[in-house]
Amino acid sequence: MKRAEIISQLNAIFEDIIDEGPISLSDANTVNDVDGWDSLTNVQLIVAIEKSMNIRFTSEEIQAWKNVGEMIDCILTK
Amino acid sequence: MDFQLNDCFKQQFVVTPKVYKHFQECSNDRNPLHTDEDFARAKGFPEKVMYGNILNAFISYFIGECLPTKDVIIHSQEIAFKNPVYLNETLDFEAHVSGIYDAVNAIEFKYKFIKPDGKIAAKGLIQIGVLK
Repeated sequence: MKRAEIISQLNAIFEDIIDEGPISLSDANTVNDVDGWDSLTNVQLIVAIEKSMNIRFTSEEIQAWKNVGEMIDCILTK
Repeated sequence: MDFQLNDCFKQQFVVTPKVYKHFQECSNDRNPLHTDEDFARAKGFPEKVMYGNILNAFISYFIGECLPTKDVIIHSQEIAFKNPVYLNETLDFEAHVSGIYDAVNAIEFKYKFIKPDGKIAAKGLIQIGVLK
């Protein structure tokens, strides 16, 4: 999967889970940049990403992400 | 975690008059489909239809009381009602672990409620978190 495809899928997942309108993620985005992205929605987002992409993360991987770009880097390794 | 993929859990639930009455008081829903036999018959049902959301209360009991751990919290719950439930019906409830998400300590269950005639009353998904 290419980076642009992943971003597109992530946008759709974030919009579905957060449900506060269109979302256009970029590599630099963090939790603080996306309204509605909090610790509770983060669990739903991770589950949705894992289900949608048929991958699994580890808690260490998730805790290491500093921004969306690092999340995508991790997805690309799966 | 205390769960393995495809672990299956079974319970039986009965929509007793007490359950019906207490749910009615809790919800304050007195729609005639649930309270008026004549109205329900006029709409094509053999008797008054039980509140579908009583089944959500049964799910609450299942998650809160019937799992191998009490360290749980419900994240989300989806239900699709397939066939009406009537007073005093016994429902067989079956849930199996359909997803394990270790990174966020979340478990997903697929479940169904089965009526005495074998038809599905409702089915859906539950996602819980396992509290550390």
